[in-house]
Amino acid sequence: MRIMKTIVLGVGNRILGDDGVGVHVANELRNHVKNTNVVIDEATTGGMNLLDLIIGYDKAIIIDAVKTEYGRNGDVKRIPLTEFSTMHSCNPHDVSLTEAIEMAKRMGEDRIPGEIVVIGVLMKETPREFKEVLSSKIAAAVPRAVELVLNEIKGVDE
Amino acid sequence: MKTVVIDPITRLEGHGKISIFLDASGDVENAYLQIPELRGFERFSQGRRAEDMPQITSRICGVCPVAHHFAATKALDNAFHVEPPPAAKKLRELLYCGYLIYDHILHFYFLGGPDFVVGPDAPASKRNVLGVIEKAGLDVGKEVIKHRAYGQKITAILGGKATHPVCGLPGGVSKGLSKEEVHEIKEMISSCNDFAKFTLKLFDDIVLKNKKYVDLIRSDAYTLKTYNMGLVDNKNKVNFYDGKIRVTDQDGSEVLKFDGADYAKHIGEHVEEWSYMKFPYLKNIGWHGLVDGKKSGIYRVGPLGRLNASDGMATPLAEKEYKRMFETLGGKPVNSTLAYHWARLIELLYATERAKELVEDHEITSTHIKNPVGSPGEGVGVVEAARGTLIHHYKLDKNGLVEKANLIVATTNNAGAITMSVRDAAKGVIKKGKVDDGILNMVEMAFRAYDPCFGCATHTLPGGMPLEVNIYDNNRRLYKTLKQNV
Repeated sequence: MRIMKTIVLGVGNRILGDDGVGVHVANELRNHVKNTNVVIDEATTGGMNLLDLIIGYDKAIIIDAVKTEYGRNGDVKRIPLTEFSTMHSCNPHDVSLTEAIEMAKRMGEDRIPGEIVVIGVLMKETPREFKEVLSSKIAAAVPRAVELVLNEIKGVDE
Repeated sequence: MKTVVIDPITRLEGHGKISIFLDASGDVENAYLQIPELRGFERFSQGRRAEDMPQITSRICGVCPVAHHFAATKALDNAFHVEPPPAAKKLRELLYCGYLIYDHILHFYFLGGPDFVVGPDAPASKRNVLGVIEKAGLDVGKEVIKHRAYGQKITAILGGKATHPVCGLPGGVSKGLSKEEVHEIKEMISSCNDFAKFTLKLFDDIVLKNKKYVDLIRSDAYTLKTYNMGLVDNKNKVNFYDGKIRVTDQDGSEVLKFDGADYAKHIGEHVEEWSYMKFPYLKNIGWHGLVDGKKSGIYRVGPLGRLNASDGMATPLAEKEYKRMFETLGGKPVNSTLAYHWARLIELLYATERAKELVEDHEITSTHIKNPVGSPGEGVGVVEAARGTLIHHYKLDKNGLVEKANLIVATTNNAGAITMSVRDAAKGVIKKGKVDDGILNMVEMAFRAYDPCFGCATHTLPGGMPLEVNIYDNNRRLYKTLKQNV
């Protein structure tokens, strides 16, 4: 069986409160994952830079805050990338990850992961204030997000 | 009353909100761009180790981590009373050129370019980088990707890490360059230089040879006569990394030139109740509301601000292009907001030429890259972020912990100008209450030219940080809300 090279990326800003939840999840995962075919990293970026980080892997798991009016604060959802109708880097100086992927494909890039999954921690609002700690509801979502990621990488050979 | 609200601005997904107020006949009376800022940075910084500031501040903004990193590092040089060795300054500036290269390429091809290359009135679905590639060709697309990545690679080699550098220390840098790395950077820079020339040619062919576009650039709706600000070297040439802050007036004459340390003497910050954003202005002229002209202290920063505030570029090809721009657009200063795009490409060319000089400098491989620090005090650091002048100011206690921190970021420096540009563009294109997607794009173009960053630190999926446009009628009742791509 072919080895599934997998990258797990905690996305967010660890100095911006709940926005950094993805990074908190990634840090927690380091205590659980010893599989050498799974790389765990963090990224405070989006769009083109995010694409640079996942290129070359068979599968990418992105853990991030998802701002939505639906669902409750702290719900955790597994969302295939294809289900995002729009996905902006909220950074105004970049394109969205889906746009970056589309562009790379047209350029003939063939190293884009076959499967890209988002483990989203839902929240109604993203923070506007600098702090390093998560709010209680979002902190409580971390174990669930860790569990979902572990599920995703279960099948990866060591 | 009628109010127009533009909801998400497609290629500028900050959390901005535009409110447009119409008069009884449906024409624009006023328009505001509101940008919710991130809060609490000063408090967040208090009590932190000064040496951590270059890393912490590089996370404030997902757009300009490199600029924050070096504004912070330079502020610490001053706060610890230490002058970095010449090689360290050159390494920092070389890294900085790499940042300008990828940042300016990204803006032209991905964000600003679609308006010109695809066309301002093309359908929204085509006005993106894919539309640009469709028009300019797949090969161009490949070159865009390649050279943006080169800029990133150069910053990663010098900075120790991609996107968020970790090399800046008070008194120098933590990492030098090996001969092999010099060789690698040289090759990338040479290729970037060719690509910058190609991009200017593309701009020439597609924009400058099209009378419709040139007329648009020169039109009143996109003209603003403010003061201009930027860092200059000792010959008054544009410099991104170091120098004095120079301000020129509406005739192109110098009105101020000062050390970054004196910024608070010259720059005031006005507060408007409808915006979180502060509006900086020149203290000697004063705040007289959101108006342009000599009597208003509002100034512009960023590529056009820098070119207007200087006497030229320090490298030969960029200098030639600099002269050509001013000759073509009617002399100095150029007040056309859309000329920011041209100025940005001239800076891209300069960054590649300057990087070539630096990487060929024999001192660049020196191992003397850090000097010992003195006792902690107070310091200001100023750099030119891709989108304009960026100021960091720290006061340290005797143990080297941060007591006070103050930042003026580039987009804040442009706040007054951006607000006026949005208003004027709206006035120019919205008549008798008629608003549609194409018209809104003309409004968006006014502030896209500045390449603003909306204090959004990172990225959140799906990134619901729309710019909403609310249009209000003359009774201040919501008339229309426009949202794209929500």
